[in-house]
Amino acid sequence: MISQSTSSSSSSSSTGLALNPCPICLDSIKQEAYLDRCFHKFCYTCICQWVNLASSKDFCSRAYVVCPLCKRENFSIIHDCEGESFQQHYVNHEKGFLLNKGHKVRLYCYSTEPDVMYQKYSVQKYWKSRRYLQPNRWFQSWLRRELQALLQVKDVDVIVHHILGIFESFKRRNEQDKQKISHAQRREDFQASMTDAARPFLLSRTERFVNEAELFLASGLTIDAYDEVYLQCLGLDSPTSGDIEITEEIDGQGAQVSSVDLFFDDTETTD
Amino acid sequence: MQASRARLFKEYKEVQREKAVDSDIQLVCDDSNIFKWTALIKGPSETPYEGGVFQLAFSIPEQYPLLPPQVRFLTKIFHPNVHFKTGEICLDILKNAWSPAWTLQSVCRAIIALMAHPEPDSPLNCDSGNLLRSGDLRGYQSMARMYTRLAAMPKKG
Repeated sequence: MISQSTSSSSSSSSTGLALNPCPICLDSIKQEAYLDRCFHKFCYTCICQWVNLASSKDFCSRAYVVCPLCKRENFSIIHDCEGESFQQHYVNHEKGFLLNKGHKVRLYCYSTEPDVMYQKYSVQKYWKSRRYLQPNRWFQSWLRRELQALLQVKDVDVIVHHILGIFESFKRRNEQDKQKISHAQRREDFQASMTDAARPFLLSRTERFVNEAELFLASGLTIDAYDEVYLQCLGLDSPTSGDIEITEEIDGQGAQVSSVDLFFDDTETTD
Repeated sequence: MQASRARLFKEYKEVQREKAVDSDIQLVCDDSNIFKWTALIKGPSETPYEGGVFQLAFSIPEQYPLLPPQVRFLTKIFHPNVHFKTGEICLDILKNAWSPAWTLQSVCRAIIALMAHPEPDSPLNCDSGNLLRSGDLRGYQSMARMYTRLAAMPKKG
C-alpha cells in the first residue's frame, strides 16, 4: 500500500461552481456542519453519511472519524450553530452519551418561555424568607442533569462542582453577613455569581440556566415533582403519561418542530 | 437525483473546465453511463513510462463518493503495484485510505504519482517488485520501458 499524503479537489473556486463547496457532494454547503477538532466544513447530511460509513467499517466501531480533508481524528460533528448555541453529534452515539427522557424534557423546557413557571412560584418569597440558606439535597442531581442536557456530554462533574462551590460560597457570604442587605440585592448577588460561574460553559444559554436554577431552588420540590409541575405549566401532562400529547403540542410549533421532535420521538425507547 | 449521480455530474463539469489546464490527464465519461469513465494519462517524465499514454478504466459504485471508484489499467504496464494481467492497482487511497474529498481527477494524479514512485514492498507484480527490491534498478527500468514502448506508444509505420 502506498501513502498519498493529501488530496486536492477544492482547487477550483473559479467560474461557475459553488464557492467553497462541500468536499463530499461538491455542491454549495447545506446545513453547515463542522468537525470538532479540525473545523473543516461540510453539509450536515454529507458528513453524517461519511461518519456512519467510516465508523462502521471496522469490526469494532470507532468513537472517532477521520476528516476527509486533513485525516485528523475528530470525535463529533458540530451543527446548527446559531449565535453561541449549537448542536453536537458524537460519533458512535451508542457508546457516547445518550440523552434520556429527563434530559429531553429539560431541553424542551428551554425551548419554551419561562413566564408560566415564574407565576407558579414566588421567587420573591424564596429570597425574603432566606430559604436559600437551607440545604437543597436535590440541587446537585438537578444541576448534573441540567448540564448534561445542555452540553450533551455525560461527564459534567467538574462543572457541577464548580457551580455548587460558587453557590455554597454565596450562601456562606450571606450567612455571615449580618448587615442589612435587601433580598433584592441578595438575589442580584446570586444571579451575578451564578452567571459568572456558568457562562464559560453555557454561553448564550447562561441567563436562562440561572433563572431555571433559581426556579428549581425556589420550588423546593424533588426533581420528579418539579418536572411534573413544569410540564403541567406548559400545558402538557407529566412525561410519564403524556408522550402523545407532547408530540402533538410540538407539531403545532412551526419552526422548532424538527429539533424538538428529535428530543421526543424516541422517548419510548430510551431510559 | 441520486447523490452519486449529482456529484459525478459536478465532476464532469469540472473536468470540462480543466481540460486545457491539466494536459497530462484526459478524463472521458461513457456516453450512456455516468458510472463508467475512462482516463488517458501520460507517463511521468524521467520514468520508464515517459512518452507512453496509459488508459485507465473507472467503475464507480452507487455509494460514491463514500466508497472509492474501482480503477484499473487497460494498457499493459510493468509496475510493482499494478497487476500485470488484470491491471488492478494497489494504492491505499483506492482502498482503506479512501476519502470522499478525492475526485476522479485527483485519483488520476495519485496514480501518476504512483507510477513515478513505485512501492516494491507491496507488489502486485512480483517480478517487477523483486527487481527493485534486489536493487536491480536497470533491469526494472528496461523492462518497464520495453512494455511502455510495446503497449503505451503509438505503433510506428
